Amino acid sequence: MDTTVFVPVNDTDTPADGRLAVRARGLTKTYGTGEAQVRALDGVDVDFAEGRFTAIMGPSGSGKSTLMHLLAGLDTATSGQAFLGTTEITGLGDKALTRLRRDRVGFVFQQFNLLPMFSARDNITLPLELAGAKVDHVWFDTLVRTLGLEQRLEHRPSELSGGQQQRVAIARALIAQPEVVFADEPTGNLDSRSGAEVLSFLRRSVRELGRTIIMVTHDPAAAAYADRVILIADGRIAGEISDPTPEAVLAGLDALRSLEGPVADDGTQAGA
Amino acid sequence: MLQITLAQMRRSAGRLTAAGIAIVIGTAFVAATLLAGAVITRTVNDSIAARYADADLVIGATTDTPITDVGALEAIDGVTAAAPVNGTSLGLTVGNRTVYQLTIPTTDPRLMPLDVTDGAMPDGRDQVALPADVAERLDVAVGDTVAVTRDEMTDGGWQQITEQPVVVGLLDDPYGAYAQSQGAAVLDADTFLDWEAASWGTERGATEVSVALDPGADVAAVQAALAAEIGGTTSTDDARWVVETDVRASEVAASFTGDQDLMFLVFVLTFAAIALVVAGLVIANTFQVLVAQRTRTLALLRCVGADKAQVGRGVLTEAAILGAIASAAGVLLGVLLGQSALWIAHAMDVAVPLPDTIALTWQVIVIPMVVGVLVTVGAALVPARVATRVAPLAALRPADGPSVSRRAGRVRLVLSLLATVFGFALLAGGALLGTIAQEPTVGLLAGIAGGASSFIGVAVGAVFWLPKVTSLAGRLVGTSGPTARLAAANTLRNPRRTATTSTALLIGVTLVAMMSTGAASARASLTEALDEQYPVDVVVSSTFYDDAGVPTALPDELRAEVATAEGVSSVADLANVTLESPDFALDEDGAWVPADSADAVSPWTLDILAVDPAAARAVMNAPGDLAGLEAGTVVLGSWFADGLELSAGDTMALSGPGGTESFTVAVVDDPYASYLAWEDAAAAEPGLVANGMYVSLSDAADPNAAVGAIQFAVADADEPAQVTGAVVERAMFDQLIDTLLGIVVGLLAVAVVIALIGVANTLSLSVIERRKESATLRAIGLSKAQLRGMLAIEGLLIAGVGAVLGVALGLVYGWSGAAAALGVMGDVTLSVPWRDVALVLLVALVAGLVASVAPARTALKASPVEALAAD
Ligand SMILES: Nc1ncnc2c1ncn2[C@@H]1O[C@H](COP(=O)(O)OP(=O)(O)O)[C@@H](O)[C@H]1O
Ligand SMILES: [Mg+2]
Repeated sequence: MDTTVFVPVNDTDTPADGRLAVRARGLTKTYGTGEAQVRALDGVDVDFAEGRFTAIMGPSGSGKSTLMHLLAGLDTATSGQAFLGTTEITGLGDKALTRLRRDRVGFVFQQFNLLPMFSARDNITLPLELAGAKVDHVWFDTLVRTLGLEQRLEHRPSELSGGQQQRVAIARALIAQPEVVFADEPTGNLDSRSGAEVLSFLRRSVRELGRTIIMVTHDPAAAAYADRVILIADGRIAGEISDPTPEAVLAGLDALRSLEGPVADDGTQAGA
Repeated sequence: MLQITLAQMRRSAGRLTAAGIAIVIGTAFVAATLLAGAVITRTVNDSIAARYADADLVIGATTDTPITDVGALEAIDGVTAAAPVNGTSLGLTVGNRTVYQLTIPTTDPRLMPLDVTDGAMPDGRDQVALPADVAERLDVAVGDTVAVTRDEMTDGGWQQITEQPVVVGLLDDPYGAYAQSQGAAVLDADTFLDWEAASWGTERGATEVSVALDPGADVAAVQAALAAEIGGTTSTDDARWVVETDVRASEVAASFTGDQDLMFLVFVLTFAAIALVVAGLVIANTFQVLVAQRTRTLALLRCVGADKAQVGRGVLTEAAILGAIASAAGVLLGVLLGQSALWIAHAMDVAVPLPDTIALTWQVIVIPMVVGVLVTVGAALVPARVATRVAPLAALRPADGPSVSRRAGRVRLVLSLLATVFGFALLAGGALLGTIAQEPTVGLLAGIAGGASSFIGVAVGAVFWLPKVTSLAGRLVGTSGPTARLAAANTLRNPRRTATTSTALLIGVTLVAMMSTGAASARASLTEALDEQYPVDVVVSSTFYDDAGVPTALPDELRAEVATAEGVSSVADLANVTLESPDFALDEDGAWVPADSADAVSPWTLDILAVDPAAARAVMNAPGDLAGLEAGTVVLGSWFADGLELSAGDTMALSGPGGTESFTVAVVDDPYASYLAWEDAAAAEPGLVANGMYVSLSDAADPNAAVGAIQFAVADADEPAQVTGAVVERAMFDQLIDTLLGIVVGLLAVAVVIALIGVANTLSLSVIERRKESATLRAIGLSKAQLRGMLAIEGLLIAGVGAVLGVALGLVYGWSGAAAALGVMGDVTLSVPWRDVALVLLVALVAGLVASVAPARTALKASPVEALAAD
């Protein structure tokens, strides 16, 4: 509770010390039409600086995943703009988006999503293979060492624990040295110890390997590993916490609930 | 439980549909075959019945004691008309064209199945009515005369008598009563009976009489009265009988087709069975996948109290329902196909009068239904057993993707190995029996048994080795890039599934390749045998003999026509002469002896061909056979040389009306050759005329077209001449082989089509269960084109491996079969039907590609976002 300040703002400021990895301006996404229309994102403006580990938090159904999908070029925005570095990704075609995902973005999934027929090594190098690029062996070794996978490279996913699988997935996300790694609930399928392990690896890859990571989570403890937490509610940015602790995050969430009233509570019916 | 089964079926409707189509096609095949069999039987039945026109009763007697007084039968109460229904074949000649035509006697109009289209029915000894198309072929019209040749039995044997009746009428056969004999000519009944009696030397009378009754007459009573009149019974088992027309018609029809329609059914149903086996494999695959995909649901059912048997029964019930629905659809499709075929046949005006509608017997519906359900349920047995093995615990495990690749059993491995090794050994034994031991029948039987055994071994053992082959192929393909490597890895995830899918294709492709290889080898071997048998491509020879028994000359115009026919490169005139040799004679037994031998009883003659040596050498395929031919030599084959104990350089005298001359003997390989230079033959036989021709075709010419052109030239010249030779026979064989091959491959194509549906089905099932994975791949940078390419390569791998192995196996089987069956004909030429092989591979690969299109579309629908979805 000590150093953290909870500031409810709608405009997130650029950190003074670096360039921006990801930017969103007036990002809006609606699902369905007419009566059934859902405004999942409602004119979101947000910036993510390079070399930082940011967590996106908010109640279920608040639009966390939607925001991430749009920022990563996985889905198309209804209106507004999203930028990766200086590239505007909203409005890119499928080919350009595929190239972008291949070369400049990495993903870590809640359910690991490794290819069962390939070994850990093959899974890690797959993005490079798809891009037809050479494996940078120094980087590969660094990743494997940092993630503690040296002894596991020839194993199939089915022969690895959940935590190990997620570490392979992190290595896969980082192998192409992407500008940003997106992670959606990366610890959602892990027990707390493996989860903690994975989170500290994510943090290390930011601190030691200079990566940029944007992680969606609903676990305050997980969010505390990040450098900064963006709070989102009802499709809008509801605030941010710098250098969060679990307690600060919890407090932030509580504040959100009191702001939103009972609405945030029944948001649980939407999928995480 | 049924509720759950139905609900599950509804959820898997799409997946089941594809598998169902396999069964639909298979059962439609069976139903259509049964229908075709019924149509054939009925067509024959109808045409036989048509011969009796409106007769109510049929009377029969033996040839020795025919019904002599047909008129007396008409006197019986209730009988309106009675007439003989016998037929005999007579030669009808106009100019030099002769047609042999079935001929029947005139009858009361009610008993006559033929219609008069022009003129009238004959009414006297010197009149005849002809089928309209026969009259056209003979180029006669009403009022013209035809020469009718008939035999009359005399003391010294048969004597040919030529009558000259006038054509009084032209006939049509609207009910196809005599469809098999292209209609029938009609003679006045008295004349007909006279000629028949004269021809057989029997009493004048009829062996079969059709009887029309008065309207309202008591059929049974008249039947009894007639039986009494002829001194017979009402059973055709007796010497004389009276039966109702229907009874007689179906009896004749049965004896007519004999086992043929059964053979037809068995033949075609064999292919239907193959198609159903392939369909079974497709079904088995589908259920394997369904069970794997439902592991969690099944486990959940077990958790809430369903026992093993219930789970297994659920799968079998599902199969039974699928089988029943698909089979019903199949029967419907088969019936539609059958009826459409009839409509098309009617629209095309085929010569045989076919029924308007198919006859829906219970067999046509029940047999395919039962077979279809049995195959479907049978194919689901193994998946059902797998379903019973799902532990309740599986419900609690995290979803691990249903890629359960269980190890296939050791027993299976051993059995399949044994069957394969034993089968191939037997196959080799069969080939050896055919070639070395010259035992084609035993060899072929051994070959078939060996082939069947080895193929079962190969197919059953496919689980063990097919994935390895696919892996090898995949690794080869995989070096070309990540997409191919992904595809190769994917095909190996479920070795059993890949193996079953490839095996389904393997079966059809192997059989197609086997048939075309066998046909190609038979063709090549026959060609060689024919080339040995005939010295030249085509021989034109006169078929008209003068009084001395020498063929008459071929007219100059005809020879000129043939020489200039399309595709003919060169010709040589030919004369058959018979010369006597004063050096040799025949003994009492007809054996050859020297003329001065004590046993000599009669002169020895030699049928020899006179040719211009240079011209003949130019047309012959093996000019070496005429190597030594020149004026003053006689060329003899080894058979003559050995029999006469002559060798090259010896002399032999030959004499004819022109005098005797001594010739130097030249011996050639062709055992039955005997040639003399034209000038020498003309000296011995002053009246020498060209009564034949050797014709060689240019290499570039299409042999079949060239033979056609020559046949046309000969037919056009209107001279009695025949066209024979290696190329002619080859054209005949080619046509026969092509027709048979076409039919067999057409029938096998059904199995191949089903297998290809299987490939598409396997791919779509895989795509469905890999939905999330596709999304992940898309999220980490796989482009749409790459995803499509990956599935295309998977399709190519599955189809390609099945097709390549099938072709390889087919070649082995085709060669072994050819060796076993054709070994007796001499050296068997094992040839590869490259064109067919290329075509089969192309079809399989293209189909593999096409099979990947729909699954790829499904896969592309998976947006990368789905990779992030929780479940
Ligand atoms: N494909 C979709 N179709 C319709 N509505 C959707 C879809 N995806 C998400 N939504 C809705 O958009 C809102 C935001 O969802 P999401 O971004 O998944 O929330 P979160 O990840 O924060 O739980 C929710 O109300 C959700 O129901
Ligand atoms: Mg979410």
